[in-house]
Amino acid sequence: MAKSRNVTPSPAAAATAAAAPPQQPSTPAPAPAPVKQVAKSAPSSKQNWDQVVVNLVNHYQNKTPQRTKLIDAFMAFLVVVGALQFVYCVLAGNYPFNAFLSGFSATVGQFVLTASLRIQTTEANKSDFPSVSPERAFADYVVCSLILHFFCVNFIN
Amino acid sequence: MRSLVSFVLLLLVAVVSAISTTGNRLLVVLDDVAEKEGYSKFLGDLESRGLTLSIETPKSESLSLFHLGERAYDHVILFPTKAKGLGPSLTANILLQFLGANGNILLTLSSGSATPSALVSLLAELDIQLPADRTGLVVDHFNYDSASAPDTHDVLLLPPPGPLRSDIKDIFSAGAPADQLIAFPHGVGAALGAGELLSPILRAPRTAYSYNPKEQSEAVVDDLFAAGEQLSLVSTFQARNSARFTLVGAAELFQDKWFDAEVKKTGGKAVKTFNQEFAKRVSGWTFQEIGVLRVNWIEHHLNEVGASNESNPKIYRIKNDVTYTISLSEWSWTAWNAFSVPKNDALQLEFSMLSPFHRLPLRLNAKQSTAEQAAYTSSFKLPDQHGIFNFKVNYKRPFLTNIEEKNTVSVRHMAHDEWPRSFVISGAWPWIAGIGATVTGWLAFCALWMYSAPVGGKKESKKTQ
Repeated sequence: MAKSRNVTPSPAAAATAAAAPPQQPSTPAPAPAPVKQVAKSAPSSKQNWDQVVVNLVNHYQNKTPQRTKLIDAFMAFLVVVGALQFVYCVLAGNYPFNAFLSGFSATVGQFVLTASLRIQTTEANKSDFPSVSPERAFADYVVCSLILHFFCVNFIN
Repeated sequence: MRSLVSFVLLLLVAVVSAISTTGNRLLVVLDDVAEKEGYSKFLGDLESRGLTLSIETPKSESLSLFHLGERAYDHVILFPTKAKGLGPSLTANILLQFLGANGNILLTLSSGSATPSALVSLLAELDIQLPADRTGLVVDHFNYDSASAPDTHDVLLLPPPGPLRSDIKDIFSAGAPADQLIAFPHGVGAALGAGELLSPILRAPRTAYSYNPKEQSEAVVDDLFAAGEQLSLVSTFQARNSARFTLVGAAELFQDKWFDAEVKKTGGKAVKTFNQEFAKRVSGWTFQEIGVLRVNWIEHHLNEVGASNESNPKIYRIKNDVTYTISLSEWSWTAWNAFSVPKNDALQLEFSMLSPFHRLPLRLNAKQSTAEQAAYTSSFKLPDQHGIFNFKVNYKRPFLTNIEEKNTVSVRHMAHDEWPRSFVISGAWPWIAGIGATVTGWLAFCALWMYSAPVGGKKESKKTQ
């Protein structure tokens, strides 16, 4: 993840060539404003950090493809579901343990598979997977997910 | 006609075996056959109870306790003899073999004659000690019969003994008239070892002591063999095979003259002796006519709703609910009666593999009990441990036949499809919901993924074109 995050600016730059027309109107509008603000309030580091966050969010909103956003939303959902199950296990005990293992590992496994899908479908990683098209990646993802669900539903008994 | 004959035969067999649960052949060993006149009431009583008496002397050549390796008699009474030895047919070893072969022995001693060495070594085997030089006399200067022994004080007068412990039935003196006394004339006291097979019926009073009348002058008795309640006057030994052995310190207790005698404590009034009834009960206990327990049947089965009600299955599963029932009868004189556990005692069931996992009280089950037998039941949940287990009833009490019953069953673990399903356990519902959320979330994600057109797709295709 971290790696892809670091790399994001450069593909974004590369992507601008491809996806320039729709993004261009929105990008320049917020971009100059923060720069001005930073120049104005240089001593306040808090504002500086706000700026970084706002920058990050804007950059994410503007430069991330729709499908990657969808993946991220789904992953966030899985994190919430997994956290709820874990908290329940800590508070209420792990009996029956196979149910906990099954429920929790279904969520974690789904998260891992989804992360793999994200890596394989990100434009920036295309050079790493020259033979894997996004369609092929999605098909792999569906098959693996079905196997995972099959195991988990059986294991929870 | 034939059926009538067989019926009569059966009746005869029933009548003959009605007396003792182990047999009715009784050997009476007397120093001199003429001596039996002195015991005529006691022997007549035994005969009237159905025992067939054979009277022999130790010198008799035909005397043998075994014939072709089998017991020739079921019971033996040994009365005191003047001779020093009992001869080759009544050695300590043979008498012990007789006990080992489920024979019962009633042994009487008397201070008037030295105990034969064969009997001393027999008693030593059973952990019963006699005074050192095989002769002793028990005296009591407070509880003596002032009518017959005003000077020697060697006829002890004792109240009927009462139960040995609070959890044991009083079978030797129950129902005894309060004013009757047991006369214990010219007797030998014994000291019992700590073995659990030994139990005294009658202990000496606290003021009694045992001394050697030949060597110790009556005035100065400094080296006592034993005194007070250390002295057991009538003692029993019940072997592991439930063969019974009784040592009566005073043979004269069984004589006619003490059955009818009136005795009188100093300052008390003359009362009848309890000897006849006491002799009957002591001999009856020894010859397995009272205090005999029998296990009629044992049954155990699954006690679960919807499960098969098969009796005595070979295999159970861990945590099964199981019911165990044992039926017991007690023989008393002429009939089998339902056995009732004494008030402060408990009949217990052990469920054990090497060591007991459960030790549970067995309670009387009135539904399955009749006048002849009492059913005791316990219902419980098997432990969470698989393996080879025993249902074990180990009931060994003084004056009652030993009961040790073991029924072996296998206890298997849960089969894979016997565990409760997760959806049955409410604790698992959040995790089931977790899988549900994951799967439906995944389905929604897939649908959205496929319907969301790749934004750059057209452009890419344009580019490639």
